[in-house]
Amino acid sequence: MAIQIKIPAVGESISEVTIANWLKKDGDTVKLDEVIAELESDKATFELTAPSAGVLKILKPQGSTVPIGELICEVEPSQAAAPVAQPTNSKPAASSSPAAPPKASGGVKEMKVPTVGESITEVTISTWLKKDGDFVTLDEIIAEVESDKATFELPAEATGILRIVAKEKQTLPIGGLICKIEITEGAPQTSGAAPATQKAEANVSNDKSYATGHPSPAAAKILSEKGISSEQVPGTGIGGRITKEDAQKAQSQPAKPAENKAAAPPSTPPVIASGGGRNVRSEKMTSLRKTIAKRLVAVKNETAMLTTFNEVDMKPVMDLRSKYKDQFKEKYGVGLGFMSFFTKAVCAALREFPAVNASLDGDEIVYHDYCDVSIAVSTPRGLVVPVIRNAESLTFNQIESEVVRLATKGRDGKLSIEEMTGGTFSITNGGVFGSMLSTPIINPPQSAILGMHNIVERPVVKNGEVVVRPIMYVALSYDHRIVDGRESVSFLVRVKEMLEDPGRLILGV
Amino acid sequence: MQYNVTVIGSGPGGYVAAIRCAQLGFKTAIVEKYNTLGGTCLNVGCIPSKALLDSSEHFINAKEHFKEHGIDIPDPKLNLTQMIKRKTDVVKANVDGIAFLMKKNKIDVHTGVGSFVDKNTIKITSGDGKEKTITAEKVIIATGSKPTPLPFAPFDKKRIISSTEALELKELPKHLIVIGGGVIGMELGSVFARIGSKVTVVEFLDSLIPTMDGTMGKELLKVAKKMGIECFLSHKVTAVENKGKEVIIKAETKDGKNTIELKGDYCLVSIGRRPYTDGLGLDKIGVETEKGQIAVDDHLKTKVDNVYAIGDVVRGAMLAHKAEEEGVFVAEQLAGQKPHVHYLLIPGVVYTWPEVASVGYTEEQLKEQGKAYKVGNFPYKALGRARASMDTDGLVKILADKQTDEILGVHIIGARAADMIAAGVTAMEFRASAEDVARMSHAHPTYMEAVKEACLAATANRPIHL
Repeated sequence: MAIQIKIPAVGESISEVTIANWLKKDGDTVKLDEVIAELESDKATFELTAPSAGVLKILKPQGSTVPIGELICEVEPSQAAAPVAQPTNSKPAASSSPAAPPKASGGVKEMKVPTVGESITEVTISTWLKKDGDFVTLDEIIAEVESDKATFELPAEATGILRIVAKEKQTLPIGGLICKIEITEGAPQTSGAAPATQKAEANVSNDKSYATGHPSPAAAKILSEKGISSEQVPGTGIGGRITKEDAQKAQSQPAKPAENKAAAPPSTPPVIASGGGRNVRSEKMTSLRKTIAKRLVAVKNETAMLTTFNEVDMKPVMDLRSKYKDQFKEKYGVGLGFMSFFTKAVCAALREFPAVNASLDGDEIVYHDYCDVSIAVSTPRGLVVPVIRNAESLTFNQIESEVVRLATKGRDGKLSIEEMTGGTFSITNGGVFGSMLSTPIINPPQSAILGMHNIVERPVVKNGEVVVRPIMYVALSYDHRIVDGRESVSFLVRVKEMLEDPGRLILGV
Repeated sequence: MQYNVTVIGSGPGGYVAAIRCAQLGFKTAIVEKYNTLGGTCLNVGCIPSKALLDSSEHFINAKEHFKEHGIDIPDPKLNLTQMIKRKTDVVKANVDGIAFLMKKNKIDVHTGVGSFVDKNTIKITSGDGKEKTITAEKVIIATGSKPTPLPFAPFDKKRIISSTEALELKELPKHLIVIGGGVIGMELGSVFARIGSKVTVVEFLDSLIPTMDGTMGKELLKVAKKMGIECFLSHKVTAVENKGKEVIIKAETKDGKNTIELKGDYCLVSIGRRPYTDGLGLDKIGVETEKGQIAVDDHLKTKVDNVYAIGDVVRGAMLAHKAEEEGVFVAEQLAGQKPHVHYLLIPGVVYTWPEVASVGYTEEQLKEQGKAYKVGNFPYKALGRARASMDTDGLVKILADKQTDEILGVHIIGARAADMIAAGVTAMEFRASAEDVARMSHAHPTYMEAVKEACLAATANRPIHL
């Protein structure tokens, strides 16, 4: 009996994951606890291990997004794998034919009305694009659904026979049952499907064949130009062939996290030779990017965000740093950067202005007596925000080590969800990319974020004289709903004072 | 003048490359040694030979088949001068067409021998000795090929001739001896056999058209015999002698035990073609050749970064349509695109009557690879349309993978094979199975039904009309 592998519950708020990468191929033999796939949620990447040794049977293709609990593959234990007897029947030709008709796997996928927006509680089925009993493939659009705000398309959540539950014009609450899909699969493995065989014979079969994944001549050229391997493209043509349209719609898969270090960012523009190519490419957003997009727009819409600026003379910190950096490195094995100074200064200032460290929960303001400082880390997959816990109690070297650890994990796509949730305040450093000044966006539900920028030598006036000093502009974006102007401005001034006179950090004045 | 791309040679590879370059926005020039564009194919190859093949086919129909069709005419007489003139007119119309296409695409045509000064500079020496130079960022060499002479009997162009002279003969040969039973030898041999020459073919290998599937060679041999062409297979020519009014050929079997001596008035040497790069000055820029063939990588680029080569001067079959694909391939690459050329699926065609055409693997190749395969044959004799037209010679042979039923080779000998093979190419480009083709509706009555039937035969040996 095959062991079914479902998407495990990986975190409280995570409802779906994307199969970033199958590390094993369909039909491969896998060992117990061997990593067989990499899953990506909007927050983190996980590895999926084999619960038993045996032969892998992949049910969901790479790149597909699947809800928690969904069956994505099966492992047929090895001792049983070899001698699996073909169901005996009188038509051996039919069962060995490459174009074997789809067979029911026994599974039924219930499709429910998805959450489409915060305020939407019900939807109406406007049109069924597929009929009851039709064969539908994963992600194929099967219906159009209307809410009071918009019309959206409903893609099939599985491949199989459609059984319609909700009729056209019927209104359903969120979570209501729309239809069922009797999941079918290609390999003639289950014996219970014999009666279905003949009936389905006339249907166009999208089963695997020797030609599965074979691109048409035009498709092959398009894929080469996009730099996509034909293996990554699901073919919709007869027998799984890749049509020109498939190639036009194809997008490159998110890069494997393991490759991230070396790989170029996925958004590398296409190479343009002397002829001046004018390629346009569309890529599906990754879950992470979708989440980023959703969150950022939400913050802009739902908070009263504004930004205050100041400038910091970095000379004292830089002097201190150049004086002690070798000793520091020798003693703690980690470099002395600016992050520890900023984090310390921020923690001290947060204590004085607790509103900046607070968050809104409905009608209540939640104050935090600790400082969990989120630091923004740019990774090839996008921005991630790991958290330095209890930063107020950490020493300089502890902060620096923590920054290095989290940044490395972030770049490798290995951060856990825990490591990325629950910050009370954020620091982002656009200066590493050369930003002079910017208005950072709050990381909800926090109420403020400090933006660091590049350090530039500027003429400043000290004691009535123009002198050249290394200056960093700093920005504090805050949610004006809970942080007043006086608090935010004073907070930033406090940070400035402590950085310009690091002695204050020790004395707390 | 300065160009983005300069193409040397205006045959089907060269002119197609030039047009595609121009379409892609490159400022393009083409250099041609001769006064007419089109290269071997249009001037002394495909087009003129097909013109004569059709004329000879009409002649034989008038002479032998009209009566059966119920058309009584006085015994037709050959007017070779008119036949050659019509051929010349056809050629002229075609090369003029190319000149028009060059103008339409704003491609500059430079007449003269192109020669590299350096990798970006080309000197063009015209017939009257005038020289000019042009520069180009990229150069595509498409200088084609020339007939290969016998080492011991060079072309004298009087009695010992190549295909070029055979297309311009002023008199009908009484006895034409063809050395080499390949594509060109069989095409021209069958032309002259039909218009009244005695034709004898001497072939070194044990089959006619030996590069094609063995069944095709065997069938063609049958047809040739019917036409009165005498064929000596497995014979090696040892001497060719021009005796003024006649030419004497000596040949022996491979073991040397049997010798033959043939006397004829013309000897057509058609043992192959060699890449032609004379006067290009390749040594000046460091482009390497091997037996005249220019070495190129998978992108058809030579050792020199901006210099490409296509068609007969590079590896692969010497076919006009192969050169055309390569011309488009290089042009699109220069524009940053990533095209493909699928060499296995470039069809091969022999314009004898009946025609021979094939694509994919031959049965011999599959055997050599140890591949498990199935064969489906369907003879033209069993085809209603073929009987109606009295073209019952030939067959369609489909080779398919034993397990998957994927079509691995399509081989056709018979009327219209050259046009029909396109369907085979399409099927194979999409990796169709024999059953796929067998399940597609084919119009009745057509020759293509033979392909469907052969696919049925290959699928599960269940042709309908056999």
